[in-house]
Amino acid sequence: MYLTRAEEKILAGEEGEARAEALRIIVKVGEALGAERLVPIAHAHVSGISYGTIGDHGASLLEDLASRGARVAVPTTVNPVGYDTEDPSLLEKAGARITPEFVRGQSRILGALRRMGANLTLTCTPYYMPEVRGLPAGSSVAWGESNAILYANSVLGLRTNREGGPLALMAALTGRTYYWGMHLDEERVPQTLYHVEEGILDEARAGVLGEIIAASHRSRRPPLVDARLRDEIALREFLAALGAAGSLAMAHIQGVTPEKPPEKPEERITISAQDLEERLDKYRPTDTPDVVFIGCPHAQAGDLERLARLLLGAGRVRVRTVVTLSRREYSRLLARNPRVIGELSGMGVVIARDTCLIVSPFGQPGIRVATNSYKALFYLSKRGVKVSLAPLEDLARIAVKGV
Amino acid sequence: MESEAVSLKGRVLVEGNAVGEAVVVEALSFYGEVNPKTGALNDGRSITGRVLVIGRPRGSTVGSYTIYGLRYYGKAPKAIIVESDADPILVAGAVLAGIPLVDRVTGALSVISDGDLVEVLSGGIVRVYKRSSSSPLVRGRS
Repeated sequence: MYLTRAEEKILAGEEGEARAEALRIIVKVGEALGAERLVPIAHAHVSGISYGTIGDHGASLLEDLASRGARVAVPTTVNPVGYDTEDPSLLEKAGARITPEFVRGQSRILGALRRMGANLTLTCTPYYMPEVRGLPAGSSVAWGESNAILYANSVLGLRTNREGGPLALMAALTGRTYYWGMHLDEERVPQTLYHVEEGILDEARAGVLGEIIAASHRSRRPPLVDARLRDEIALREFLAALGAAGSLAMAHIQGVTPEKPPEKPEERITISAQDLEERLDKYRPTDTPDVVFIGCPHAQAGDLERLARLLLGAGRVRVRTVVTLSRREYSRLLARNPRVIGELSGMGVVIARDTCLIVSPFGQPGIRVATNSYKALFYLSKRGVKVSLAPLEDLARIAVKGV
Repeated sequence: MESEAVSLKGRVLVEGNAVGEAVVVEALSFYGEVNPKTGALNDGRSITGRVLVIGRPRGSTVGSYTIYGLRYYGKAPKAIIVESDADPILVAGAVLAGIPLVDRVTGALSVISDGDLVEVLSGGIVRVYKRSSSSPLVRGRS
């Protein structure tokens, strides 16, 4: 692989042993993939930081890096963790089991990330952070977290591969990643068009569309998608579904993606409204769930305002209802509409920051969850949770009246 | 005795020489299929101190941490050989854990069986001493 003089100096340890090791990992991965060189990155987003998945050995690795002087070289945000850091027992109301051991292990991980200079945003939607919205389209970044990767490439025009596990952190520590895949112009050009015949898709239908495309897409190039997504939630849930159900890093969505699509795609696949409805039938709520879950990926302030309007005058919710969002969106909501959080809490809605049901120790087999997130359905189902899918307005009705 | 060995060649991703008994797995996701605290695969076989031979890597990106965990708990394999291409999960994990890694070892799955003695040498050379033969390398070294 071609390396600049600056990169060779880093590898030789001139910027510290930890940065040298981080760059060695980036270079080795790049060589394995056949990358010719590295590319500077403007931002990194680190996923896989839950104690539940990386354990004591993961915590020790991060502490070891931090104590050897590893520091981020670019602005770096991080994914959610297993609980609300201000109120660790909050999600126990929804059935999660947060042990003192879990909090200790998670705190070690967060402490190490803080020492390395990461911004502890604890959200899977870094794409709503001002520091990310300000990056010019075309910038290379290194992100973990599949839904965020899809959003970065497809909506913001940023360029990132799926940098899972420790790879986004290694890129953060070096300010570089391998120049390969989604960083290359030609790899971003779609070949296959998916045309959705009719209708405006709410987030539940957008999610099953993501599942259908993930299952049928054969090219490693991004799919070109011609569908009418109802709103920002539908866009977010479509991309999250595509990221969960498959290995793609980008979808080229007509009218959304800043890059110019090809005039004539090589292949055209039509998806009918009936295809979507049939798929959705498998997931529709058929009995009253134990938990209603909103906020995978993390909700925006506006989603909570909408939920509050839908629940207006209903009294208390009958089904335990959980909304998860970032600390920043929570503050934004408090600032612009201070009554909403009080109203929702007063109705019995649990509002948790920094976390979500997927990364928390939640999910006794057999428990029933209704959600508007295909991604949450995909991952919680793997734990034996019985998950159903419906848009926000249906969830609000179910929360109050049951099914 | 050298003539009894089968020689394969691959691409070196993490340098290092090693010799050990083979444990062969067709497809492996480290996360969920290897216990880093015990070095055991889900089917009970141990990879600790062995040469792990993988047909193709797959699975969750958390696997890099699992590979590092094997080293952390003292349960690491001596080397990892991959028949197809190593994926970023495996490469990152092997560098972090300091485990020699050779990929693109054509024929690895058809030549190597559990219990064969496998020697990983510099330049991506992999020597295989079949268990069924009289294991000259072991005798020679003991």
